[in-house]
Amino acid sequence: MGVPVLHRRGNAGLGNVRSSMGSPRHNIDWTLLAPVVLLSVIGVFAIYSATFWKVEGDPYWFTVRQVVYLVVAAVVMIAVMTFDYTLLRERAFFLYGCVIVSLLLVLSVGAIRGGARLSFDFRFFSFQPAEFAKPAVLLALAAYVSETRDATLDYTQFVRGMVILGIPTALVITQPDLGSAFVLIIGALCIFVMAGAKLRYLALMSMLTIMTVAAAVGAGVVDRYQLRRIEAFVNQNTTEEGLQQFVFQVRYAKRAVATGGWFGKGYLDAPLTNGKFVPVQQSDFIFSAIAEQFGMIGAGLVLGLFGLLLFRIWRVAHMSKDIFGTYICVGIFGVVAWHTFQNIGMTMGIVPVTGVPLPFVSYGGSSLVAFAIMIGLVESVHMRRMR
Amino acid sequence: MDADKRSKRFAALGLTVSVLMGALGLRLWFLQAVDAPVLELRVQANKTRTVKLLPERGRIFDREGRILADNERLLTVTLDWEAMRRTSERLELFSRLAPILDVAPGDIENRFKGGKYSPLLPMPVKEGVSEETAIYLIQRVEDFPGVDVTVEWKRQYPFAPIAAHVLGYLGAITQGDANQYLEQGYNLNERVGQFGVEKVFETYLRGTPGFVKYEVDSRGAVLDVVERRDPIPGNDLLLAIDLDFQQFAEQALETQLRLRRFGETCQARVPVLVDGKEVRDADGRRVTESAKPFVNFTNDEGVVETRVIPDCANYKSPAGSVVMMNYSNGEVLAMASYPTFDNRWFNASISSDKFAQIFPRTDDPDQSILVNRAIQGQYNLGSSFKPFVAYAALGTGQLSDQDGSGVDYRYQDKGVYEDSTFAAARSRTSGNNLIIVDGQEFTTSEYCAENRCFYRNALCSGTGKPCVYGSVNVVDALAVSSDTFFYKIGDEIFRQRGGAPVLQEEVRKFGFGSQTGIDLPYESPGRVPDSESKRKLVEAGALFEGESPTYLVGDNVQLSIGQGLLAASPIQLAVAYGALGNGGDVNRPLIALALLEPGTPNALEVGLADLSKASVAVELGTKNTIRSLNIPPDVRDPIVQGLSRVVTGPGVTSDYYHSTTGERLFRNYPYDKLPIAGKTGTAQGAANLPWNDSSVFAAFSLDPNQPIVVSAYMEKAGYGSRAAAPVVKCMFLAFMGEARMSTVLPSNPLDVTSTLAAPERKLADGRCLAGANFGGRD
Repeated sequence: MGVPVLHRRGNAGLGNVRSSMGSPRHNIDWTLLAPVVLLSVIGVFAIYSATFWKVEGDPYWFTVRQVVYLVVAAVVMIAVMTFDYTLLRERAFFLYGCVIVSLLLVLSVGAIRGGARLSFDFRFFSFQPAEFAKPAVLLALAAYVSETRDATLDYTQFVRGMVILGIPTALVITQPDLGSAFVLIIGALCIFVMAGAKLRYLALMSMLTIMTVAAAVGAGVVDRYQLRRIEAFVNQNTTEEGLQQFVFQVRYAKRAVATGGWFGKGYLDAPLTNGKFVPVQQSDFIFSAIAEQFGMIGAGLVLGLFGLLLFRIWRVAHMSKDIFGTYICVGIFGVVAWHTFQNIGMTMGIVPVTGVPLPFVSYGGSSLVAFAIMIGLVESVHMRRMR
Repeated sequence: MDADKRSKRFAALGLTVSVLMGALGLRLWFLQAVDAPVLELRVQANKTRTVKLLPERGRIFDREGRILADNERLLTVTLDWEAMRRTSERLELFSRLAPILDVAPGDIENRFKGGKYSPLLPMPVKEGVSEETAIYLIQRVEDFPGVDVTVEWKRQYPFAPIAAHVLGYLGAITQGDANQYLEQGYNLNERVGQFGVEKVFETYLRGTPGFVKYEVDSRGAVLDVVERRDPIPGNDLLLAIDLDFQQFAEQALETQLRLRRFGETCQARVPVLVDGKEVRDADGRRVTESAKPFVNFTNDEGVVETRVIPDCANYKSPAGSVVMMNYSNGEVLAMASYPTFDNRWFNASISSDKFAQIFPRTDDPDQSILVNRAIQGQYNLGSSFKPFVAYAALGTGQLSDQDGSGVDYRYQDKGVYEDSTFAAARSRTSGNNLIIVDGQEFTTSEYCAENRCFYRNALCSGTGKPCVYGSVNVVDALAVSSDTFFYKIGDEIFRQRGGAPVLQEEVRKFGFGSQTGIDLPYESPGRVPDSESKRKLVEAGALFEGESPTYLVGDNVQLSIGQGLLAASPIQLAVAYGALGNGGDVNRPLIALALLEPGTPNALEVGLADLSKASVAVELGTKNTIRSLNIPPDVRDPIVQGLSRVVTGPGVTSDYYHSTTGERLFRNYPYDKLPIAGKTGTAQGAANLPWNDSSVFAAFSLDPNQPIVVSAYMEKAGYGSRAAAPVVKCMFLAFMGEARMSTVLPSNPLDVTSTLAAPERKLADGRCLAGANFGGRD
C-alpha cells in the first residue's frame, strides 16, 4: 500500500483504454473551473452585502436564491460537460430554432419589466430567453462555419452567417435589450474573425449593426430610457434633472469603486454599498460592492480571475481537436470578455450603462445558467480534445 | 486550414481582449489612486444631513423696557418619514398620536398622502402645540418612534401699531438681496428685517443659527445624531424711544390731521347758485363768486379744457410727521409718521389680494403708507427755515449798512420787495417807464413779464393785502415772519458775492442737504439747492419746462424763505433746531441706545422687560456730534430772541399791531415751566393754492435741563400756526406733564377682517391742540 500519487497502480496507464489519459473524465480543465468557482463565491458574499437590508425580515432573500441558482447552474454545467459537443453539431440548429421560438414568445407574452419584455415569469423563477440565445446562436454559427475547412470565409458563407446571427439579434433588440444584442454580435464577430472573414466583411457587419440600432431607435423600438443612458454617459456630470437618475447610478458606483482604497472599507462596513446608495447593485453594479469593500486588492483579484478564465478559454480554443470546438470556444471567449468589459467598464464610467451582468458574480439565475452552459461547452471541448 | 493564419487570428483575439482587460485595470487604478480623495469627501456628504436650527430673534425694547417686538415660540410636532413607511405601524402610530395632539387620525393620514411636505425634512403633524404636549411626547420618545418637536419663532409686536415706522417689519428675502443674504449664511426661506430698526440691526437681531447633523441612509432616514450646535439668540435692542411720548405723538398727529380736514379756506364766501343750487366743481368743492372761472389746463388726453377752480376747499390734510428729540445727546424720544400701519400685517399670513387692499399701490404720495415721513419726507420748510438764513446773514456780516450791523441793522418792510437789479435799473431811469438792463431797453411791464421784479409778504387778513411791518430788525423779522426782510438777504447775499453759494454753505452746517445718519433705513438727504443740483434737476426733467438750468438770484430769494428747490426732512429740522437750542452742536439723532446680551428677563408686569438685569453688549447711545458750530452770542441771541417772541410775542406795530405767528396759540402756555422758542412755516404747495399749503412748526426748549426739541410737518393742512404748531405745543405740554397722556397698553390682536392699515387713533384729551383757530399767518 502506499500513497496513490506516488505509487501508480499496476493496472493503470495506457493499457486500460476506458480509464486512459485520453478519457474525458481525466481531462477536466480544473484551472478553468477554479476562477468560475471563486467568482461565484465572491459573488454570493457581494450580493449579501448589497441586499441584506432590502427585504424586510429576511436579509438572506437574495443570497439564498443566488445559492440555489448556483446549484442549478452547477448541475447544468456538469450535464453539458458530460455531453459530447461534437454531437451538438447536428442538433445546433434545433436548439437555435427553440431559442428563436422562445424569443418570439417572450415578445408576445413575456412579463413586462421596466418597459421591456425580457423574461417569462413562472411561479418560482423567471426565465430570460435572451441569455440562452447566447450559447445557442454561437453553437449554430460555429456549426455552420465549420462545415467547410477553408482558411477564409467566402461571401456566401458570411451572408448566411449574418442571417443566422441577424434573426435572434433583431428579436433581442426588439425586446428591447441592446446589451444582449451586442453580446451576440461580439460573439459572432469572434467566430467570423477566427473563420477568416475579410476586413471588409467585418466593416459591413459593423455598419449593419449601426444601421439596425439606428433603425430600431428611429422606429421607436428602443425607447428613450435606453437612449437617456447613453446621453447620461456622454454627460456624466450633468445637472439636468431628467438625466439625474441615470447619472447618479454611475456616479455612486464610481465613488464606491474609487473610495475602496487598497484594502477596501471592510466587508459590510462600506458606506455606499451598505448605506444603500447604489441602485440595483446586486446585479449590474455588483463590481462596485466588491471594489468598495475589498478595495484594489479585491477588485484586482476579480479582474485577475476573469483574466485567468479568459486565458483558459482561449487556450482550449487553441487545443480543440476540431475546428467546431475552436469556433465554440472563440465565440464564448468573446461573450465572456465582452460581458466582463462592458459590466466593469460601466461601473467605472468608461462605457455607457447597459443591463449586462458580470458573469458568475451578478445576481440572477438565467445569466448564471447560460454562462454555466457556455463554460460546460468549453470544458466539453477540452475534455474531448484527445479523442 | 492554414495553421499560421489560425495562430495570427488567435493572437489578434487574445491581444484585443488583453487590451480591454488592461483598460479595466488601468481605470480601476486611476479611480482609486487619482479620483479617490475628491470622491471620498462626497461619500461623507452623502452620509450626513444637516438641519439648521434657527435662533430666537433679538427682542426690541423702548427706553423703559416695554417690549415692542417679541417672539412667540411655535412648537411643531413632526414625524420622520421612515417611521411611517409600513402602513400597519403608521396607522397604529397615528391612532395613538391623534388624541394627544387633538387631531383626527385621518388628518394626519391626509398630510402623509397629500405630498405637500418635503421628503427630506420630517413631516409636520401639528403646529403650535403646547409645551406640556411637547414635553409629554419627548419624554416618551420610545413609545412614539420618529416623533420629534421642532421650535420655530414668530415675530410679535405687542404694542402694534405704535412706532410701526420705527420698528419696521420682517419680510421674505427679495430677489435682489438674495445673494447678499446667502453669503451671510441665510436660508432663502428666512424672514429678514425689511424696514425700520428690524432692517438696520438685522445682523445683530438675527443671532447665530445652530445645526444638527444627522447620519442618514440613501433614502434620508435618520440613523444617528452626529453633531449638534444650539443656536445663539440675537441681541436685544434697546431704543431711545419713549413709548408714552410715541403713542401721544401719533395720537396728536392723527387727531390734528383729521381736525384740519374740516377747516375750509373760505368759510364765508358766497356760493354761486344756479336754480337755487350750489355749484360744485369736479372735485365736489363749492364754487364761490370770487372763484377764478377760467383756468385753462391740458387734460390727460392732451386737450385744453377750461375749468372752474374754486377759491376755497377743505384741507386734504392727508399726512404728516412729528419728531421729539433730546437735543443735548440726539436721543429720539418719539417719531411719528402718518398714515401709519400695523406691522403685524406682515406676518398675518394674509393673501396677496388682501395685502394689496390694505397697502394699495398708489402713485399719490399723499397716500403712501410704508414711508417714514419723518426721515424720508422731502419738504419745503417755508418760514421755519428763516432762522438758518438769519444765521447765515449774521455770521457772514450780510446784515450791515450805514445805520448799523447785526442786530442793529434795520430794514423798512413795505410789504413788497423789489428785485435789486430791477430797482437799480429803475432808479437810473426814474420818471420814465423805460428801463435799461444789460444795455437793453425794456418797458417795465415787458421786463417784469420775463423776470420777477416783486416779491411780496403774505396777505394780512386785516387789509387783504401783503402785510406791512414797517421798520424791522432781524429779531422782529423772525418774530412776525417778514418775508421781504429775508428776500433781501437772499437777493443780496447772492449778488454781492458774485453768485457764490454762501447761503448754502452756511445752512448746510446745520445738516441740511445731507443725511443725519439716524439709525433707520432709507433716510433722505434732502437738498440745499445750488447751481449743480439745479442743473441736475433740469436735466432730469424734474422742473417745469422752460426753467433755466442756471441757478438764478430768484432761486436764492426763494431759498431764503425756505421755498423753491429746498428739500428737507422733519428729522433734519429737529436736528437743526436742536443745534440752535444747544449752542451749535449738530448731533446725530439716535433711535437705538444699546444692543443687549441675549436673554434679558421679563419683569413681573406684562409686556415689560427687566432692564435692571440686562447687560449691554454694544453701546450705541453715545452722543455723536457731527459738527460743533459754537455759534457766537451776537449771532445766536438775536435768533433765539426772535424765536422766543414767536411764542410769547410781542409782534410789531406799523399800520396796526401785527401779532407774532404763535403768540395767540401759546397764550395760555405755561412758559415758566418750560420756556421754548420756535418758528412756524407755511410751505406753499402746488399752483399756489391755499389748500395745498403745508404746515410746519419746530421749537426747542430754552431750559438746558429739559433739552427737548420737537418738529412737526403736516402736508396740505394750512398755516404753520394752525396745524403743526398745536401738535408741537401738545408735545411740550405732555413733556412737562400738563397734557394728559393715556397709558400705553398692549394692543388687541390684529383684526384680520379690517381693511385699514391701522385703526384710527385719537387723543384721549384733545384740549392741548386748542387755541389755533383764529388769527395767524404764515
